[in-house]
Amino acid sequence: MAPSRGPQPLARTLHATLANHKGGVNVSRYSKGAAKYVLTGGQDRTVRLWNADSGTEIKTFAAHGYEVLSITVSQDNAKFASSGGDRSVFLWDVATGTTTRRLSGHMGKIYVVDFNEDSTVVASGSFDSSVRLWDLRSQNRAPIQILDEARDAVQTLHVGSTFIVTGSIDGHVRIYDLRMGELRSDFIGHPVGSVIPTQDSQTYLVATLDNHIRLMDSSTGKLLNDFTGHLNESYRTRACFGHAEASVVCGDENGQVWAWDLLDAKLMQPNPPPKTHQKIITWTEHHPSDTGEMLTASADGTVKIWRHPQNTAS
Amino acid sequence: MTTRLKRKLGELGVDTSSRKASENFCLIGTPLPPLEKSKDTGEFVPLWKQDVRDEKGRRRLHGAFTGGFSAGYFNTVGSKEGWAPATFTSSRNERAKKQAMRPEDFMDEEDIQDLKDSRTIVDTTEEMDFLGGTQAELLGKTADDDSAKDPITRALETSLLPTPKDSVGARILKRMGWRLGQGIGTRISLKERKIQDKLAYDATTGTKFSGSTLDIPDDDEEADKHTYARRDTPVLAVSRKDNSHGLGYVPGLGLNESLGKNVGAGSKGPKLAGGFGLGALNDADEDDLDVYDHDQRNSRQRLAYDHINGDDDDVVVVGGRAERSKPTVSRSSASAYFRDGRVVLSGFVLSDQPVAEDRWFPLPDIPANWKPDPGRVWETNNENVPPPAPVRDAQWKRSAISADQRGVLLGETPLQAVPRSVFDYMSEKDRERIKRIASGLKSLSTDTGTDARSAAPAPPPPPVSLAKVEPHVAQAALRGFQPFTRDPSKQVRYTTYLQSQANQDGSAPPLTRLPHQNVDEFQKELEDYAKAASLFKPMSGAMAGRFTSAAVIDHGPKIIEGLHTPSIAEIEAKEAQQRKEEEDRISPKAHAAKMGMYGPLTREKIVWRPSKLLCKRFGVKEPESDVVEEPVAGPSKTTPSFTHPEQGVPIPSAGKDVTTPVQRIDGPRDLANIGLGEDETQGQDTLSYERPSMDIFKAIFASDDEESDDEDPVEEDVPDPPVPATEKIGFTSAADILNDTPIDMSTLKPTFVPREGKSKKSGEKSKEKKDKKDKKKKEKKSVLVSFEMDEEGDAVEPKQPKDRPAKKKRNVENETNGGDDHAMWAAKESASKADPIPPSMSASVEPPPDPDLQSRQKGRKRAVDFM
Repeated sequence: MAPSRGPQPLARTLHATLANHKGGVNVSRYSKGAAKYVLTGGQDRTVRLWNADSGTEIKTFAAHGYEVLSITVSQDNAKFASSGGDRSVFLWDVATGTTTRRLSGHMGKIYVVDFNEDSTVVASGSFDSSVRLWDLRSQNRAPIQILDEARDAVQTLHVGSTFIVTGSIDGHVRIYDLRMGELRSDFIGHPVGSVIPTQDSQTYLVATLDNHIRLMDSSTGKLLNDFTGHLNESYRTRACFGHAEASVVCGDENGQVWAWDLLDAKLMQPNPPPKTHQKIITWTEHHPSDTGEMLTASADGTVKIWRHPQNTAS
Repeated sequence: MTTRLKRKLGELGVDTSSRKASENFCLIGTPLPPLEKSKDTGEFVPLWKQDVRDEKGRRRLHGAFTGGFSAGYFNTVGSKEGWAPATFTSSRNERAKKQAMRPEDFMDEEDIQDLKDSRTIVDTTEEMDFLGGTQAELLGKTADDDSAKDPITRALETSLLPTPKDSVGARILKRMGWRLGQGIGTRISLKERKIQDKLAYDATTGTKFSGSTLDIPDDDEEADKHTYARRDTPVLAVSRKDNSHGLGYVPGLGLNESLGKNVGAGSKGPKLAGGFGLGALNDADEDDLDVYDHDQRNSRQRLAYDHINGDDDDVVVVGGRAERSKPTVSRSSASAYFRDGRVVLSGFVLSDQPVAEDRWFPLPDIPANWKPDPGRVWETNNENVPPPAPVRDAQWKRSAISADQRGVLLGETPLQAVPRSVFDYMSEKDRERIKRIASGLKSLSTDTGTDARSAAPAPPPPPVSLAKVEPHVAQAALRGFQPFTRDPSKQVRYTTYLQSQANQDGSAPPLTRLPHQNVDEFQKELEDYAKAASLFKPMSGAMAGRFTSAAVIDHGPKIIEGLHTPSIAEIEAKEAQQRKEEEDRISPKAHAAKMGMYGPLTREKIVWRPSKLLCKRFGVKEPESDVVEEPVAGPSKTTPSFTHPEQGVPIPSAGKDVTTPVQRIDGPRDLANIGLGEDETQGQDTLSYERPSMDIFKAIFASDDEESDDEDPVEEDVPDPPVPATEKIGFTSAADILNDTPIDMSTLKPTFVPREGKSKKSGEKSKEKKDKKDKKKKEKKSVLVSFEMDEEGDAVEPKQPKDRPAKKKRNVENETNGGDDHAMWAAKESASKADPIPPSMSASVEPPPDPDLQSRQKGRKRAVDFM
């Protein structure tokens, strides 16, 4: 999985700062495809669309009555879903900037939403410790299925092609395998902040609130690697893979962005990393295709786009 | 039920006459409506027919579009036309007509009735009507009385007098000719009237009445011609005595005034200024009042003019008639002289007895060193203190001494009076108890209070005044809550103190001061104890019996006296227990996670069924629920891995393959199989019966060549769909994929299998199971021959050419078997369940026919088979 030439150094040159949010930014996602745009959602109850290259805001989507905690973008970039304190999932049409659907049914704030591959199903994980799977094809308002195995709030989930991975505060990562008809739950032991499977679905990366990021084998549940050094004890910060899944990147509660080599779990230079945000970094996401671009969103209200120097210059 | 079925059931031991067996659930036709429209209030009325009516049958509530609440006039808004804009009408001309709206104007009949009912008779004792008759009567009277009264007096009367109100008695009297101010009775002559006037007296004072006598001279010739009204009997209006003075006592009067002469009697009225023109019969006016009256209170006699040595006879006394009525007395006293020749003051009488001599005592011997100190005398002597203001009633009423106490002070024998207080009604015991409580409280408060006060100003003398606690309080406190359990030494001192207080006869040693303790501290400690004792004593006496405490009193932790150090064993035991408890709480899973031993320990696998729609949306085939129990039955669909698992397994007895429909035992309940009871497959054969697919017909009727032609494309199809799936999921290791053992091409049949190893084992197991099940299945004669495709159509069942003859044979058998198409049903059943048949099982073996079974098969199906 890791390329033979080793991990690329992390993009650490600030390219643009997206600072229009009034409060902290909870989530920021690249659009699909070429990923030229960034969608951010924050405490100020808005979702904003940015041009990542120029750093300008394109649009504000304001319908949420509470903070926005999660965004997911469909494959065709025509719509996206967001969720937050409203206890319902908002489905947006990007072009018109209106909500096309509001899926309500959760009993608590919804921490995470995610589309499946063809955006026919959206999964939402909530404080009410359930995951609801909503059908977007039909007009049925009831969820297709409710996954209520979690014993505490579901903080993170990822919908893969044939499986759904959820991470819950109860310390479990649950893999719902649709093909096998099987639920594999791995007990991590600490509240799970983020779960991201690798592209090949063989492993997944789980960040827990005990200052650890673990790479787990999804077929056996064994620990493959353990990444430490950062501070993550009380907030959900998303850890992600670097380019080509050769590294692991995570922001921490001090505003630093840490990077490890995926294979030997060694901290990449500089060590310790510089402080890039004033407050906790809530979201890190690497550009899906570009080698040297990533973004970090922070509770200080800014989203920063990082690039390699040569990319920035161009 | 037919008689045959009944009989059969009877054979089976089912009670055919029981209600259960003959129960009928069928309802044919629709029930007739009730014959007459009943007045059932509970009857269902559609919403649009429901309305609210008051007791008079008027509709009270209307819909919003028909005028809301009682819109009147056909429930329109007041006109046939409906809403019309109001036109402006000036109220200018109607202003005079306009009346103030009263609440009654807005009431309907019921409200007004309520209002009337709520009105009670306000006043039953009405006041007197001074003018005679009610107002109405008076008005009526005016017409004929015009001559009697001039209009001005009438006007005055009506304006000045209060509104006439007469009692019934007064009205009757008036009708009979009585007027206010007259006596009741027959009219009398003037002479009699005069006598009555003479006898008249003032009711309040008992003196002769001086007012309103008839002043008609006796010689009036007209007088005898008339009769006169009787003199009014004065009503004895006794003024309320609202003070506590003795009888006849006038507050603020000196001794002389109150005793010397009854001057006040008879002339209580205002003193009139002396002067001419005022007759005794004249009423005093404001102007006639003697403004100089006040400071001459002592001299009741006033002179009309200055009197200097004038003749006594010439003294003109101006005063009330009372004085004038007894001139003889004053004259006799006026003639007396003192021995020195002075005239005795009028009104005084010379005493016959000589004035008693004063007794004189010799002066006491004044000590030599005595110094006169007038100041001291001045201060101490009460005489020099200004006399206290006359005590008012309220004040001396409030004085602390009660009547009883005063009586005791005066030495009166106490009256055996009626009991005065609640305590008098109490039994002796209760009274004592309450007294004890009260005394306990009082003594405690006073004790602590005085102690505190004495302690405050100066260091008290070494003998410490012990803070006292009533013995019973102390005893109670000893039994009650122990406040100082945390401090054993203090607790000991506390109990010692309480014990000393409890038995005050001295049997218990009093609490002594600690050597290092100073007096103040000791004092404070005692006070603390006293306070604690009063606080923590259990509820005593009267109250204790009436309440029970809600909670168990906390006695604090068990104290081991002395310097207790728990032994090592004890500590260890405790720790071990704690550890054990902790471990009990932590599951092995958590333990493993704590140790970082992620893997099988931290992993749990359970069956999870994604809903069908979800699978559809994800583009995934629905997994089998019975993966766990029947791994062979459903591997082709669940696992992505694609292998040839059972080449090694010899196909049992080629001609006699047995296939049994695998019964799904505990599949999930869904809407489709609700109501089918425990057996889900019940009725399924009938429901899902459809024309068998062409394959079967082909298998039966077509030649072998045709078959093989059919077969080939199918076989080619097979590998296509799962391959990308494996790539996607990749959860199965590559080793499992394509387990390439030598393949007998003739028997080659690709199938889906979940895991390595498992498949073989479970295959065997299932075979055993099937053997066991054979007997059961045979009852239904369910021989499985199916090439039915899944409804999705993309899971293609592999077919085994080798089985064909057997199948054919079997089918032929079925055909010959009386056209019984149960086999077909069963085949369909299994197909509908989408249970793919593994190749080894695809042909069925006819077991050695059991004669009994066969006989049954040939016959009708028995009722038992349905049950």
